[in-house]
Amino acid sequence: MEFHDDFPQYEFRDQHDDVEGKKQRRRLWNVFWIMLGITIFELVLGSYAASHSNVSKTMLKIVFISFTILKAYYIVYSFMHLGHEVKAMKWIIIAPYTTFILYLVFMATITEGNYSKDHKVSPADKVYAAPATAEEGSPAESGEHK
Amino acid sequence: MSDHASADYPANWGGGVSPLKVSYGKLFMWFFLISDALTFSAFLSAYGFMRHKFAGTWPEPSTVFHHFPFIHKELPLAYVGLMTFILIMSSVTMVLAVEAGHRKDKKDVMLWMILTIIGGFAFVGSQAWEWYHFITGTETGHWKDLIVDGKVVKTLVHGANLTYNEYGNSLFGAFFFFITGFHGFHVFSGVMINITIFIMVARGVMEKRGHYEMVEKVGLYWHFVDLVWVFVFTFFYLL
Repeated sequence: MEFHDDFPQYEFRDQHDDVEGKKQRRRLWNVFWIMLGITIFELVLGSYAASHSNVSKTMLKIVFISFTILKAYYIVYSFMHLGHEVKAMKWIIIAPYTTFILYLVFMATITEGNYSKDHKVSPADKVYAAPATAEEGSPAESGEHK
Repeated sequence: MSDHASADYPANWGGGVSPLKVSYGKLFMWFFLISDALTFSAFLSAYGFMRHKFAGTWPEPSTVFHHFPFIHKELPLAYVGLMTFILIMSSVTMVLAVEAGHRKDKKDVMLWMILTIIGGFAFVGSQAWEWYHFITGTETGHWKDLIVDGKVVKTLVHGANLTYNEYGNSLFGAFFFFITGFHGFHVFSGVMINITIFIMVARGVMEKRGHYEMVEKVGLYWHFVDLVWVFVFTFFYLL
């Protein structure tokens, strides 16, 4: 069979004129303002929670993680143009990743997480290994050396 | 192509068409990004697991990262907020370069790409500044029991390294260096690829080709770097 080099050039599919470009730029800047707003809100919430102890940690985690996923959605669908690809392409990118990550997260939080809950290392276990050569001026040289 | 897609063949199976409507290069950039995303997810899951396991000795990130250049006050999260802003901003300039490429506007592509490169360098520089403060640590330091030559020795520890740190569990420093380092290296290589493509655009290679698809591919990589930072930002600094 003869080699065909006359495939449709899909690089040209996305090309557009000035009018369409203006519309797209406005959309992109909108996404930027949304993401900036979310980030500023997260920072305010984070520094508020750092100075006030009456904020529920679980609620904070849920809020931060959902905002992160929302930002990820905006990046992938708008900036990376996945929203404009065909349906099959979207599935090929999203489905395998989601499958593996759900597996990983459940493994880390439920199976292994439960194990570590039952075998918690006590906070008193605070011995840290240091390099065999003691640092200059550390008590190791004067006190313990024989 | 039309003679293959005859009446006997369904349009997509006769050859000569791309069912996914993306080019080879872009498709494989996506596949590479998925594998890279799995790597980063594994790192962050491991971080979360270890943090849960050693919850008693794990430091509160907002008490560790509160420095800001030229301001001698404790400002938790402000600096990392600035870094996030820089990276999101550079992501926007990148997507504007891609958009300019769709209009085949060489001047615009060059302008937005150079801004992206500057943003990338600013981010890597900010990260170096933060690493410097993390490594040197505080004036007061923290007394730790270290094992030196097989004996337990009380030592005044300043800052952090891969073996121990003054803030808490030694794994905290190890994870910080490993995850932000791996991400920083991605940013650095992204900047290098951006520079390469910028030079190609400037020399008119894309103009000769008739399309700016290379800008799109490097844009995908750059947005991915931004995407990873969004997650690192949440799991390392906010939670």
